[in-house]
Amino acid sequence: MVLKIFFPQCCNKADSGLLVGHWLPGQDSAVVLAVIHYPFIPGQVKQYIHQIRGQSGVDLAVLGSWSMPKEGQEGMESFLRELRTIFPQGRWLQLSREMGKIGFTSGGEGKTKEEKTGEEGDKVIFVHYEQRKVMLSQLHPTDPPVPLTQSTSELRQVFGTVSQSESLFFLDKYDDSPVKLTHWQSEGREGSIIVELMKQASTPVCLLTAWILVLWTSLCNSRSVCLGRVLEPSETLKANIFMSFLLDVTLGLLLIYWLYRENRVGQLANALLPAADRVAKELEELLQWLMGAPAGLKMNRALDQVLGRFFLYHIHLWISYIHLMSPFIEMILWYVGLSACLGLTFALSLLSDIIALLTFHIYCFYVYGARLYCLKVYGLTSLWRLFRGRKWNVLRQRVDSCSYDMDQLFIGTLLFTILLFLLPTTALYYLVFTLLRMVVVMVQGVLQLTVDFINSFPLFALGLRVFRSYTLAEGVKFSVLCEEPGTPLHLMMDINPLKFSSVVQTYRTATYSCYPKDSWLALCKKLFLGELIYPWRHKTTKID
Amino acid sequence: MDMLLLMGADSGLGTGPGPAVPWRKVLWERQPFPDNYVDHRFLEELRRNEGLRQYRYWAVVREAGLVAQQISCVALFLTLWLYMEQGLLSPSTLLWSGLLCALLGYGFYQALGPQGDSDSQQRTRWSDLQSASIFLSFTFGFSPVLRTLTESVSTDTVYAMTALMLLAHLVSFPYAQPSPPGSLSLNAALFASVCLASRLPGDHRASRGLNSSSPSSLHTFTMLCWALLVFALWPCLRQRLRECAPQGFGCVCLLMGLSGVGGLGSIWPGGAVLLAAVLGAVTLLCPLLLIRLQSDKDNIHGPWDEAEIREDLARFLR
Repeated sequence: MVLKIFFPQCCNKADSGLLVGHWLPGQDSAVVLAVIHYPFIPGQVKQYIHQIRGQSGVDLAVLGSWSMPKEGQEGMESFLRELRTIFPQGRWLQLSREMGKIGFTSGGEGKTKEEKTGEEGDKVIFVHYEQRKVMLSQLHPTDPPVPLTQSTSELRQVFGTVSQSESLFFLDKYDDSPVKLTHWQSEGREGSIIVELMKQASTPVCLLTAWILVLWTSLCNSRSVCLGRVLEPSETLKANIFMSFLLDVTLGLLLIYWLYRENRVGQLANALLPAADRVAKELEELLQWLMGAPAGLKMNRALDQVLGRFFLYHIHLWISYIHLMSPFIEMILWYVGLSACLGLTFALSLLSDIIALLTFHIYCFYVYGARLYCLKVYGLTSLWRLFRGRKWNVLRQRVDSCSYDMDQLFIGTLLFTILLFLLPTTALYYLVFTLLRMVVVMVQGVLQLTVDFINSFPLFALGLRVFRSYTLAEGVKFSVLCEEPGTPLHLMMDINPLKFSSVVQTYRTATYSCYPKDSWLALCKKLFLGELIYPWRHKTTKID
Repeated sequence: MDMLLLMGADSGLGTGPGPAVPWRKVLWERQPFPDNYVDHRFLEELRRNEGLRQYRYWAVVREAGLVAQQISCVALFLTLWLYMEQGLLSPSTLLWSGLLCALLGYGFYQALGPQGDSDSQQRTRWSDLQSASIFLSFTFGFSPVLRTLTESVSTDTVYAMTALMLLAHLVSFPYAQPSPPGSLSLNAALFASVCLASRLPGDHRASRGLNSSSPSSLHTFTMLCWALLVFALWPCLRQRLRECAPQGFGCVCLLMGLSGVGGLGSIWPGGAVLLAAVLGAVTLLCPLLLIRLQSDKDNIHGPWDEAEIREDLARFLR
């Protein structure tokens, strides 16, 4: 049986005293959290440990004794052995270290009288860890917070124990308390200079920041804002959102600066009208081409002329409307540009909407063409069944034979012939306008994807990964510190930071975006049948 | 013991070991016969050419006359179209004659029909009038559309489609019961007639000063009316005639054939010869072939046929 002891690096040079920590349930390991020095009163130690146990929820206990004798401190051994009787435990560790030597020994682990089965010479491995880093880090993949039970892995239990024992690390050596501890914060509590300065200099700004954070989190009365505290995953997400928002606003302000510097808004407005005119002219040319014999296809001349003239008149109406609006465009654009101060994503969404408004006639054409084509296809399928003497049975959802009347047959055949021969013309118009609409939809889609990307990019988490890589831990790696025969093995535990791709994947903010819910096959089928395609349908959420 | 018998038996079918027990046609019992034993009762349940019908030549000819009649109907229709296309007949003449024929035919139909009570007869007349008005209005309304329907399709394609559709019409025609016309046959015929009607020239003929009010809409309208008459209404009258006056039916058949050949011959003599040959083959040659080939028939039936459920199962449903 190998006993693993997780020993904090900060306690390597601590004075002799008691080891305080936690035995991991179900494993043969212990985590040492702090060392309590002499002089102490056992009763007060017990009271303190009881108090910390209640505050943190970790099952703290006195693990054993730690002896690092300095000059003039002899006779500690017997004193340490007597301590065992004061703190009766199941297992008792006796670690000792000598000055000048790297390794330390563990001697005389006593078991209770019942367990003395003669298993002496248990192997011991000391795993050194940096307490501050382990406390602040989050082991990925993060599970929802559950109490540390026997089923979680050993590593997760170690990380969990250290991070939950935050209240233990509160007292430093400058506090007046009956118990003197050594841990990572015992040299003085960590604070942020920036936060202290902010508090001194500008209270309203701090209040504002605090208020914004209160909106998103409920813990705003901690002393150090981000640094000396363990971050829950949800807090990371909220910090991500906040950072994305800031980035957004910054980019928007940059955009405003660029737009308004050299009266680019006016230039834009002046360029808009000729652009719309040009689009209309291109459409007209397209329709003229369709009204002729496009690509040598056989079109029915009469229907062609009708449809072409109808759409041309539509375009003419649209151009008149644009010309009517032209005096107001510059003013509208000016105010719209100002709204980019709310963020670049806002400006991009507005741009997408402006594009939708400017290409409204294309949308109209698409709807007309699609409806006509859909009607034609529906009529053709139904009349084809009539041609063969069959009918669609709605009750049984199948095709049945049917004996029609003479006049039904006659009119049905006439209509079938007409629809069949007019199909190429309608299909061509439908195809052309669907393609145009798809182009517009794709442009809008690209803008939407950009907005999505800016909103969901986890900037804060990436920043954490770059600057404080220990906070996002994927695992650990061990390196051998000291391996001498006769002494126990000493390993150093270093944190493996999360890969960048995993960071992005785990911390992507879910945005309220509307993805098309049709697969490619369903989309093709809808296009073939002439059903209208709505690419921005939101997923309907059930509200209980 | 069976193995010994097998080894000891001579080879050769039929010569079994000759035990006392006869061979039975069962599989669940081990019998003292080799596996390749063929009993003399093999295939005794085979029946050949069961239910063979004895055809008589002239009866078959009479039935084949129906097919020939339908072919000559199609030929007549094509003749009319040819006349209109070459401008030998003006559409108005054809239209009036068509209406006259329709009225005559309707009169015959009513005269030959079973005498029901006057109330139902009146209702039938009223519904007939409704149907007729629907036909006429729809056809007249759609004629301008139908006129330019196949303008951009090449002539060869149109002719090919027409031929295909007329063939389908002939194949799917319900010869046994033509009174309610079959959907596919009627639709195919109408489709073919629409294709042909849209190919009628109108524009450049109008410049020659033919008397036609709207140059080719009338052509289309006339064509469709005649198509309706020939393909939809004539079979009903024919059926009524056949039921009520069989002798007259025979005369009518002959008349139809002759007029078909004659009509086609006036415009296209080669076609007339072809049509006569086809009619002769269908009416006279094919029955002969059928009867001759009956003697070569060799169907076998046996207990392996599908079970046919006869009508009266009520006795099992106690």
